[in-house]
Amino acid sequence: MIDPTIVEAAGQVLLDPVVWLAVISAAVYGVFVGAVPGLTATMAMALLVPVTYWLPPLPALAAVVTMVACAIFAGDIPTILLRIPGTPASAAYADIGSGLSARGKADLALVTALVSSVAGGLIGAAVLIVLGSQLAQVGTLFSPSEHFWLYVLGLSCAVVVSRDAPGRGALAVLFGLLVSTVGLSAVHAQSRFTLGNPELYQGIGFIPAMIGLFGVSEVLKNLITLEVGPEGGTEGIPPAGSNRPIRSLPLGIVRLMRRPLAVLRSSAIGSLIGMLPGAGADVASWVSLGVSRRSGHDPRTPDDEAALDRLGDATTANSSALAGAWIPALILGIPGDSVTAIVIGVLMMKDLRPGPEIFEKQPIIVYGLYTIFLLANLVLLPIGLAAIKAGGLVLRVPKRILMPVILLFCVLGAFAINGSGFDVGVMLAFGLIGFVLERRGVPLGPVVLGIILGGPLEERLIQVLTASDGSPWAFVDRWPARVLAGAWVVLLVLGLARPRRRSGGGRGEPVGSGNSSRLSS
Amino acid sequence: MTRRQPFRTPGPIALLLLALLAGCGGEKGYPDRPIMLICPWSAGGGTDTVSRKVAALLEQELGVPVNVVNATGGSGVTGHTRGALAVPDGYTMTMITVELNMLHWRGLTNIGPDDFRPVMLLNRDAAALFVREDAPWKSLGELHEYVAAHPRALKASGTAQGGIWHVSLAGWLDAEGMRADDIIWIPINGAGPSLDALMSSGVDLVCCSLPEAAALMEAGRVRCLGVMAEERIADFPDVPTFREQGSDWAMGGWRGLALPRGVPEERAERLTAAVDRVIHSEDYLEFMEHSGFNVSPAPPDQFREVMEQFDRQMGQILTGEAFQSVRRTRYGPMIFPTVVFLLMAVILLVLVVRGGLRRAEDAPAIDRRGLVRMGMVPGFVMAYLLLVETAGYVVTAAVLLSALMVGLRVRWPVALGTAAVLVPITYQVFAVLLRVPLPWGWLGW
Repeated sequence: MIDPTIVEAAGQVLLDPVVWLAVISAAVYGVFVGAVPGLTATMAMALLVPVTYWLPPLPALAAVVTMVACAIFAGDIPTILLRIPGTPASAAYADIGSGLSARGKADLALVTALVSSVAGGLIGAAVLIVLGSQLAQVGTLFSPSEHFWLYVLGLSCAVVVSRDAPGRGALAVLFGLLVSTVGLSAVHAQSRFTLGNPELYQGIGFIPAMIGLFGVSEVLKNLITLEVGPEGGTEGIPPAGSNRPIRSLPLGIVRLMRRPLAVLRSSAIGSLIGMLPGAGADVASWVSLGVSRRSGHDPRTPDDEAALDRLGDATTANSSALAGAWIPALILGIPGDSVTAIVIGVLMMKDLRPGPEIFEKQPIIVYGLYTIFLLANLVLLPIGLAAIKAGGLVLRVPKRILMPVILLFCVLGAFAINGSGFDVGVMLAFGLIGFVLERRGVPLGPVVLGIILGGPLEERLIQVLTASDGSPWAFVDRWPARVLAGAWVVLLVLGLARPRRRSGGGRGEPVGSGNSSRLSS
Repeated sequence: MTRRQPFRTPGPIALLLLALLAGCGGEKGYPDRPIMLICPWSAGGGTDTVSRKVAALLEQELGVPVNVVNATGGSGVTGHTRGALAVPDGYTMTMITVELNMLHWRGLTNIGPDDFRPVMLLNRDAAALFVREDAPWKSLGELHEYVAAHPRALKASGTAQGGIWHVSLAGWLDAEGMRADDIIWIPINGAGPSLDALMSSGVDLVCCSLPEAAALMEAGRVRCLGVMAEERIADFPDVPTFREQGSDWAMGGWRGLALPRGVPEERAERLTAAVDRVIHSEDYLEFMEHSGFNVSPAPPDQFREVMEQFDRQMGQILTGEAFQSVRRTRYGPMIFPTVVFLLMAVILLVLVVRGGLRRAEDAPAIDRRGLVRMGMVPGFVMAYLLLVETAGYVVTAAVLLSALMVGLRVRWPVALGTAAVLVPITYQVFAVLLRVPLPWGWLGW
């Protein structure tokens, strides 16, 4: 039954001390990169490449897979503790996560995120292993019109998720889309809204914008309420909970086991979206959150419980999206995201050409990679717990010391992405914008998603229009496009019709910018 | 001049101390600090891969860190502009690409080949034309006949509007006496997504380099109709050239290293010699072969000639009548922003009328003190931006961080202590480990 090559490959991975060394150092590196906003997995990957020159193929792959898996979870740590997403994939649930943290449930939220990430990663890996070859064919069904609908779906999820305030959610998304049009348009390569400033040709990067919107605006908000006490003592820090993450671990696992269907659904969403070029963990979080919100919660479930469940669903989806991105890379040789693009380069350097034949020519590599995926997600559990523990310490630091340090990290993060002072300016501007939007109850996560998806959405729109010479039917002339368009209509009907009825006359009532009021309303 | 004596002495002494501490007593010879290599394309792409390999090898050769910075966006405008306008001290290099020959003809920038001092041409990738395996055209001639008989029936992609692969295809059509827009160009960013679109029948042809489509070609899913090169490519001996099929058209991209104009000649020569050793090393050649990149190095003079020749060719294509008609797409750059703006205006109006944009109830009111504290944030960021280039990261960050903390009424020993511990650590991690080019400044950390 079991192919001897599988055993051999697993043995090569699990018994090789170099692999273990690579996995553990990559895990620590990944946690750091993920937790600092502005350091992206792509950049970390590019830095890892010279190291992989010296490593044999399997340890090199192990380092890559582990690093990315740990980074995507570690992005949740500052998201939940400080409401500053470490990676764009965490922006979707910044409000939910930090709301829980503000109510003293930081530990529980972080452990839920960790356990869900591990589960999502494992299921994503299983999907890659079992269904990879079949799923790779789905990718080839996606022409520009299907991508268009996928992006529209992702953006609409961000609106639907903005509970009670779809209007403000839509405003946020549209603002993000408008911001994304600044610079040289990808399709036409013509400058728009640049005011003749060459720095603006590159457009407004979503990483500096995200750091500003969440990080700087959070610092601003905290500085307003900072009590000037007689001493420099501690004040106003949200209760961090016990900071004994390991004690919450059983609770987190139980929560996961209680909802097997939701876990599978989120993983499926993650794998599918991760597999498609141009959509990754960030879109997966939003779609999963949108679906999770609609899938009829028992209204008697306490709010915190519901929030934890949704947090779990979103983190499951973004972790399983990672393995999904490997499906087209491994099987077709077409990268699913920028990380796998670099991986393909690394593989080619080692004379391994991804594509259908890799299964016949290099079965050890393929099965070894599968083992690595499982290993990486299991290693994430202890490393993640340690990271949560370390993160908890941050909250013990008095705010008047913590806030300046966060501000310095924001500056560093915004600078790191492109090595440009201009991005630091963008970050500051978006910090002020985020502060104002927040006070008006406009959610910030959808703005980030709008900036990320604006370029691709426009690109697909123009592509479809150019190809069809302007006929709008081109958007629905293929069956996969019709399926996605149908899903979008269903989402809108369900998403926008129900909450209005539920919240009755409370439409005009201001909904808290803060987290607590939105979740407990 | 009228400064009082007591204020005069500490300055020089402090400077001397700083110099001693930092151990940088004057010019020890070039290079003595990290070199920045600007890559105008994003991490993970072909240009980035080559840049990082060259940087890693140059680092061993020169003994100082060589950091790759991806200054992306704007179809290459951003990176090339930054590279050309960098201080010409030999500490900033750019991996320039064929787009340098194209951007200025399209009016996107004033930067051209003359703004750079070429160091070394590294490689050239010829354009090639791909169709699906089940496509009816088996050779370039058959495609030619089909296009001539059915203008504007086929769709092709490979890059954005006006990118190198677009120009390659349009130039072939033009050279064959057809109109440059007889094959409709669907702008898709990047060869990978374009090949995806080819697989899903979104387009009928893809024009890109051979290594980019190698996996699909080996898998038998796409067929190459020909490569736009003078002779067959060593790694792909089965792919016929355009010339063999009766067309004189040759086109493709190139990549090479360059310095901004005005770098002292001895520094430029030192760098050129180092690069020359790097690209003839076994390590480099093996890497390039495995990655499927073609290797065709050329020293500065020949590199300049190549650039000039491309520049003339590109000028002809891009300013020619045929291409002008291609550039005017019916679905212009303002469609999308207009739609988004209108939708946003409607929603904003509805929200304002219904009072949905009032201040959130739990948002704290701002008093005067709060406003002052808030103002420290833009103050911090702007002061950082103003000072960091001259004073360097370590000094600027330490001073501003402690100032901000003292401003927030942290006792000053605590503030200074925090800054003294944190700033060096962040510098070590970001600049040394993660290769972020944090400014060097006075301390020369």
